[in-house]
Amino acid sequence: MATSTVLFDPDLLGRYDRPGPRYTSYPTAPQFHADFGPTLLREAAALTNGDPIPRPLSLYVHVPFCTSPCFYCGCNRIITRDKARGDAYLTRLYREVGMMSTLFDRDRQVVQLHFGGGTPNFLGAEQIAEVVDVIGNHFAFADARTRELSIELDPRFVSPDDIRTLAQAGFNRASLGVQDFDPAVQKAVNRIQSVEETLDIIGACRANGFRSVNVDLIYGLPLQTLDGFERTLEIALQARPDRFAIYSYAHLPKLFRPQQQICEEDLPSPQVKLALLQRAIERLGAAGYVYIGMDHFALPEDDLARAQSHGDLHRNFMGYTTCADSDLIGLGVSAISHVGPTFSQNPRDLPSWERAIDEGRLPVWRGMHMDEDDVLRADVIQQLMCLGEIDIVQTERRHMMDFRDYFAHSWLQLESLQKDGLVELTSRVIRATPRGRLLLRVLAACFDRYLVPQDGVVTQFSRTV
Amino acid sequence: MSSGIVFPRTDSSIIADDGDSLTFCSTCAFSQACLSEGMDKSALMDLHVLVEHVGPLHAGEHVFREGDAFGAIAAVRAGTVKTYMLDSDGREQVLGFHLPGEVIGLNAVHDDRYPCNAVALDTVMLCRFSFPRIALLATRLPNLQRHLFRLMSRDIGVASMFAGDHSADERMAAFLIGFSRRLAQRGFSPRRFQLTMSRTDIANYLRQAPETVSRVLRRFERDGLVSIKQRDVEILDMPRLEAIALAVLRH
Repeated sequence: MATSTVLFDPDLLGRYDRPGPRYTSYPTAPQFHADFGPTLLREAAALTNGDPIPRPLSLYVHVPFCTSPCFYCGCNRIITRDKARGDAYLTRLYREVGMMSTLFDRDRQVVQLHFGGGTPNFLGAEQIAEVVDVIGNHFAFADARTRELSIELDPRFVSPDDIRTLAQAGFNRASLGVQDFDPAVQKAVNRIQSVEETLDIIGACRANGFRSVNVDLIYGLPLQTLDGFERTLEIALQARPDRFAIYSYAHLPKLFRPQQQICEEDLPSPQVKLALLQRAIERLGAAGYVYIGMDHFALPEDDLARAQSHGDLHRNFMGYTTCADSDLIGLGVSAISHVGPTFSQNPRDLPSWERAIDEGRLPVWRGMHMDEDDVLRADVIQQLMCLGEIDIVQTERRHMMDFRDYFAHSWLQLESLQKDGLVELTSRVIRATPRGRLLLRVLAACFDRYLVPQDGVVTQFSRTV
Repeated sequence: MSSGIVFPRTDSSIIADDGDSLTFCSTCAFSQACLSEGMDKSALMDLHVLVEHVGPLHAGEHVFREGDAFGAIAAVRAGTVKTYMLDSDGREQVLGFHLPGEVIGLNAVHDDRYPCNAVALDTVMLCRFSFPRIALLATRLPNLQRHLFRLMSRDIGVASMFAGDHSADERMAAFLIGFSRRLAQRGFSPRRFQLTMSRTDIANYLRQAPETVSRVLRRFERDGLVSIKQRDVEILDMPRLEAIALAVLRH
């Protein structure tokens, strides 16, 4: 089984800090195409209903609105203070829930429901509870002990009372955006958020029986310093959240317009950026957190860490999860579904999504049907991302193929990564070394058929770390 | 996660659909009947028995429908064919699933019309043999006749198997073991295969609710009898599964 040991090697990280996909899916979204429409999604859903043991369902609800723009944001969101837009959005969302629910047999239980954004708590707590209710009327939730109801929260716009309402609605996991407590950094990214309101919300989640609380931090933000980030970590660690996500800030102002508000000169140098990451890894390690993979850390008793040590960890568009392999239904603008061997994505712009719903159509904008090669590669990449290793023997057995023969080209690339100490290669297993664990996506990229490096960048992806 | 191979062969060097216009597929049940008389496909042709390759038929396309005039039996070369009837309320009643190498249409001999519908569940290839000629031939060739009778009686046996009063577990075990044995007879792996039919079809065939199909299989999985990944089935403990199936299969 994979170990969660992770070793910070600045030289290696500096060398391999190149753009690459994050593999919340394989193939990645740029491979989706407009030929894939509602009919193909319907067919895919019918086929999954026909499995002898149909997989459970995971639902994702996208709430695109934010009250105020954070300058670092690369998400698909709409800035507004007009709460009526939330009501109008939900009216259509409920129609989408209704349409989607008819595609799936009623005995397929919902084991996971996640709210992301934007800012899900742009909606009031009562409204969010209502969404859960409506979903419960159309789908069958798994029992309270097995199901995971999670929500991303902006602590600036939620109160401890709201948390109680959410807990009563069944939410048991929350993820809080923090980024950095340093006032200078907060000003530079246009997100002023006090330590008190943040800790209050963590406390309220605990008091209301949430199973786990995650805190998001970002390194590489403008004006960020080692000392300031250290204090941020210190404060966050005192609250002892069950999970941390430490994201790298990717400055791509051409791709993400809000980032144009950020002064390029204020950004930390690559060396400082790496030092920030190193500090985070050291502090979290010393505080007893284990590395899950990619940007995620968890306390050893947290479900994620347990699942990882049992080899039971999964990864989807919502990140890492303990929920068994499930079919994923994305609801709302830009949301992605993963049903059987297909991906389908809703329109990324609100008017197109609204029009589809108003015309009574499933709002599928684009997608793809994975072929056998995609399915095999997705399996291999999933193993890497979740376990930090690929079981060659099991993979050959599962897919009836000869690994070394099939992946001869990938193997050559891996051998060069082995020379650099990122990975161990044997005839039975491919395992990321403690040094390589922070560069899982570099290892995964070796198996990506669509990523043909031709003199630099193919698609504009954020940098690896 | 699927290997893409629906029914892996025991000997992986042999492909399933390996016949041509002159030779039988190595999986073909009907070929045994003819080969036992020393006749290959070309010999049948010489005797004016029309042998015709049909397909590919895609999922949902019908091979024949109830009431169609009967003129030929067909051996499945690739894919799975489901046979079913509709009751007076239009409800479907699944009669059986026919795997590569197996013969369909034998139950039409009785009154010269197909008594049921046959539909492709996935991409299906068939080999059609005109029946009147075969029957005539059989009157002169005792071995061929014996083989034909055997194929027909097997067809009836399968259909009546689930008529008895058996538990959900027994029915499911019998279904899996039956499937596994039939595949083994045709040279496919008895342990690893895909269930090419939908959960609703299995439920209908076993006279169970679809939820029951899943519940029983989940229990089998928990007990280490089988492993199931989407449509892929692997039988992990054949003796125990056979023991459960015994009540239905009787041997």
